Amino acid sequence: MSAAAADTGAHERIMAEAERIEALGEAAEREARDPVNQPTINNWLEAMGNTNPRWQAGEAPPSMAQVWTMYGLGGKPPADDPLHGMMKVLTDEGYTAVLGTNCEQEYRRTLRVGEQVRVTTALDSVVGPKRTGMGEGYFVTSRNTWYVDGPDGAAEVVATMLFRVLKFIPKGAAS
Amino acid sequence: MTTSTLPLTVGDTIPAWEVPITPTLVVSTAISTRDFQDVHHDRDIAQAAGSKDIFVNILTSTALVERYVTDWAHQRTGHWDTEVRGIAIRLGAPAYPYDTLTFTGSVESVEDGVATLEVTGAVSLGDHVIGTVKVAV
Repeated sequence: MSAAAADTGAHERIMAEAERIEALGEAAEREARDPVNQPTINNWLEAMGNTNPRWQAGEAPPSMAQVWTMYGLGGKPPADDPLHGMMKVLTDEGYTAVLGTNCEQEYRRTLRVGEQVRVTTALDSVVGPKRTGMGEGYFVTSRNTWYVDGPDGAAEVVATMLFRVLKFIPKGAAS
Repeated sequence: MTTSTLPLTVGDTIPAWEVPITPTLVVSTAISTRDFQDVHHDRDIAQAAGSKDIFVNILTSTALVERYVTDWAHQRTGHWDTEVRGIAIRLGAPAYPYDTLTFTGSVESVEDGVATLEVTGAVSLGDHVIGTVKVAV
């Protein structure tokens, strides 16, 4: 793959795809594999050394919000996933490397044991190309929204996350 | 949920917390966050990808920031009912095994019932995380 920097059409293709994927809005909805559950919380508490007794009494730690909907071992994003779709566009243009740069989570409330969580993914923005210490790349920001459905069927937002990665051509990569 | 008053004043500092990073910590935290990316548990693959070693995953950086703040709030109030509203982190140097992750922090603002705490987690290579934590007060 030739370096994208030398390809004047690459930026236009990347931004056109970014616009298309951003317009999808919240997509690729997924259910958590398991409801919020105490054994999974306990494994996390042990690993983190977290002794807060609230997390043994029916509530889940706020920063576990993302854990419930992780893909797991061998799990794959759905074909329409906006983040992975955008990553593939950039990989195909030569921006092969990836580095997480920002993670901003907001918690509306703690989750409770027994609740079933689902998540959507949206592409928030694509900014670039930028020269960085790592190499030339694009900053790709996605937005996740976690929901719990109430007894009346109404969807409640319980947490959100903005996640930004730098998708870049490693410095020194052959052009 | 009742929330006891967390007595915070702008400029208050949070005592430093040192976390020794071990291979066991990196692996057990990655797996407990259901993050099976190989760079968090397989040193050969991590090194082949250009890393010095396996390294702490982002969900764990966030979880340790959360623990740093809530443990401190517990020490100050004797209660565990601090409500964390948000954690925003910027990621820097990787946290590798055999390094120490040292958290420091301070109260940046208190307004409208929400305190914003600035937290930094540093390793020998520089800052691993720089971020803010919002807690209800």
